[in-house]
Amino acid sequence: MIVAARRLTKYFQLKGTGIVGGGLSLKAVDDISIDIKEGSIVGVVGESGSGKSTLGRLLMALLQPTSGQVLFDIPDDVLAEYDKYIETNQADKCRKIEEEYSIFRSKGKAMKEMRKQMGMVFQDPYSSLDPRMRVEDIITEPMLATGYLDPEKARKRCLELLDEVGLPRDFAFRYPHELSGGQRQRVALARGISTLPKFLVLDEPTSALDVSVQAQILSLLKKIRSRYNISMLLITHNIAVIAYMADFVNVMYAGKVMESGVKRDVILNPTHPYTIALISAVPGRARMRQRIILQGDPPNLVFPPSGCRFHPRCPVAFELCGWTADEVATDLDYLVQGKYYTTFQGNTQVIPKDALSILIKGTNSIQLSEMIASEREKMRSLMSIANIKDTEEGVLISLSHFVTPKMYNLDNGKKVSCLLYSPEVMATQKGAISGN
Amino acid sequence: MSEVLKVKEVKQQFYTRRGIYKALNGIELELRKGEVFGIAGESGSGKSTLGLTIMGLLPRNASVTSGSVLLDGKDVIAPLREYATKSNQKFNFRRNENVIKKMNRELSTIRGNKVAMVFQDPMTSLNPVLQVGYQVAETMLVHQPRTLAMRRLARANAKRSDLNEALKVLRATESDEKALEDFFRNKGLEGLTEQVISIWRRKDLADAKKEKMILSLHSEKLSWFDRFVLNAVKEKGNLPSWLSKTPILSRYTRRVLLKEGYLKALELLSTLEVPNADKVIRMYPHELSGGMRQRIVIAIALANNPELVIMDEPTSALDVTVQAQILELVRHLKVKFNTSFIFISHDLSVLSEVCDRIGIMYGGRIVEIAPTKEIFDNPMHPYTKFLIAAIPTLEEKEIQEIGGAVPDMRFPPSGCMFHPRCPYIMEICRERVPDMIQVSKDHYVACFLYSGDNK
Repeated sequence: MIVAARRLTKYFQLKGTGIVGGGLSLKAVDDISIDIKEGSIVGVVGESGSGKSTLGRLLMALLQPTSGQVLFDIPDDVLAEYDKYIETNQADKCRKIEEEYSIFRSKGKAMKEMRKQMGMVFQDPYSSLDPRMRVEDIITEPMLATGYLDPEKARKRCLELLDEVGLPRDFAFRYPHELSGGQRQRVALARGISTLPKFLVLDEPTSALDVSVQAQILSLLKKIRSRYNISMLLITHNIAVIAYMADFVNVMYAGKVMESGVKRDVILNPTHPYTIALISAVPGRARMRQRIILQGDPPNLVFPPSGCRFHPRCPVAFELCGWTADEVATDLDYLVQGKYYTTFQGNTQVIPKDALSILIKGTNSIQLSEMIASEREKMRSLMSIANIKDTEEGVLISLSHFVTPKMYNLDNGKKVSCLLYSPEVMATQKGAISGN
Repeated sequence: MSEVLKVKEVKQQFYTRRGIYKALNGIELELRKGEVFGIAGESGSGKSTLGLTIMGLLPRNASVTSGSVLLDGKDVIAPLREYATKSNQKFNFRRNENVIKKMNRELSTIRGNKVAMVFQDPMTSLNPVLQVGYQVAETMLVHQPRTLAMRRLARANAKRSDLNEALKVLRATESDEKALEDFFRNKGLEGLTEQVISIWRRKDLADAKKEKMILSLHSEKLSWFDRFVLNAVKEKGNLPSWLSKTPILSRYTRRVLLKEGYLKALELLSTLEVPNADKVIRMYPHELSGGMRQRIVIAIALANNPELVIMDEPTSALDVTVQAQILELVRHLKVKFNTSFIFISHDLSVLSEVCDRIGIMYGGRIVEIAPTKEIFDNPMHPYTKFLIAAIPTLEEKEIQEIGGAVPDMRFPPSGCMFHPRCPYIMEICRERVPDMIQVSKDHYVACFLYSGDNK
């Protein structure tokens, strides 16, 4: 394994939240494990704010994680051993392996050595190149800084690299402002591969470019991969780019990996409801009919939703997904005040009582359960209502407890973080089917 | 079908320190009523410049050397063209700027009123220090204060019986909006029509609630002074000078009208499916997500029922799932508002979802125009073919790269702009500019491959 991340977590501390509200943190990346094999392109796709760039920076050791490890160039058998130690909670043995392979442990000279093995291409070719350096200086800088080559040889190699990325050699003496966006991204790519790294992170390499230039850059990337056998992590919001480039795909949402697996399995046969919606949202005439339009926006990661982070927008969420009293109360209030106004005459009050119960004043349980029964399918939050009973104060609604999903292994080697595919739910579904 | 916009042979150029940048080189375009027209092309092909030229939003180094943009029967860019063709002397920035300033004053009655524009980045096109409701209300206040005054007066003058009858009309004619309009006009309560309709159209409410809301739109209290002011605005059509020039009075009038504008904003936002619209109108742009902000910008554009809305890359800054929401919205708006849209995007697949017709731009010219289906099923211009082949799709297919780059428009290639990159290049392509040829109904292409003997 060229890169193996284990339980990687990054919380950004928020400043200026006051004395009382202090200690808030933005949970950008939460408990992510990822494997990158030699010579493969692993795609990470997600909406903005899903933590995909943070993940890329963590794998480059540009950020220190809150917890978790990134192991670099680790033999498969050692990794298997390490996984076993994590499972059995043998911290001292883990530490021994980490000391040798972790990218966060190495410092000074060892770190420089490590940096030689890693390269990065950033999203915006307009701000990632120093405007005061010539192209030659830009490309040779990593080679000199890591001591990969001496200046004389580095300059020679720079010219070869320019050939490699399809730029004329006289570009070496130009400044970035003289180049177009596509040419700049080629320079950034030449810089990224200048030390012949084993691992390259591409953070949205084409999203600032035109479609025609994007096509050029993508085929250049493919060429470079096949020539040098570099492993790549391709971060992008454009699932079509992933479909064209990657071997493996990780779908991220709100700091968590929702689904991961071989590209063909994930894209042609998506399993997680979010992946299904994401793929159906890609514009194009062919997909217009079966489009699933997600309601709402991605969540605020300072206060991420409980349970599964996708549940408030999920079209197939059910009772275990993590509904809280506040969410259910908002939806109930919306129904009572809007669509079912005729039944309730607008004099009901919905009050969330504690985390899992709601009090509704001014109505009775029969009317409510009728409404809930007919709206359950459309308003998924109502699925979580376990019990409705009349009390002196009003109707008391209690919700069922929720489960936080883990990564579940599917038969075809895919991993999905959705409760629908958890062993427990699968077992009950099978039971229900055989029972019938 | 009648035409909303007619662009004829527009040539436009920018004077820069390093030469003359020929942005538009003879654009021909006709826009029909109620149609969504898509413009696609790489960056640098002049698609945004075309949008800005139609709006007359040009900087001082822009000059229009020929052509006309007929909008609402008015030639928008006439003053600029007159200046450029009349003056034999060298191009003078300051004089041109004066012409543009004068033009801006004239056009301010059209902009935001008859034509509106939605820009790419919703983060920068809203004012961060004003509530979003205010920003919607302001466009109404500037262009149609009369409508606002009439809305408020109608609510004060209406009696409960009028609204009861209106509901009867709606039910009897099965929500016929024309009938309702006539009914209110006869009663002298024109301002109520859109208020009633916008409530009636909402889908998230029960009928009983809608009826209650409609019935509450009567005999609203209005002080005699407010009534006096609003009546004055209603009669004059806009703010009379004795109102707008007197210091305290003008401010007072604006406030009365803005208050009504907030209500109109609320109506618009609920039409645009903004959840909790009543709270959103009192929020500031930074409190909203990107998709929500873009909805606000669209609301501002639609506030005055314009005939034409130009959307310049409205979804490029948004995520795919939010983009899908906005595209769905535009499809509905097309039906609801009966407005024509020009939808500019670099992404052909986005255009394929909302547009009726698509024009492909290259080097400041439209090289192919066809209905959406036709563009994808039967692309004719080599550039169109390339554009379609260069987009990566979910279906596994090799993407094709176009060699070369968009030409430097300071030194445009001779003849057909695309010839340096074209694989089917012929001798004639270098020498002459191809004309638009009609290949089938509504399908036009500017390429020598399809003219004369080669056809």
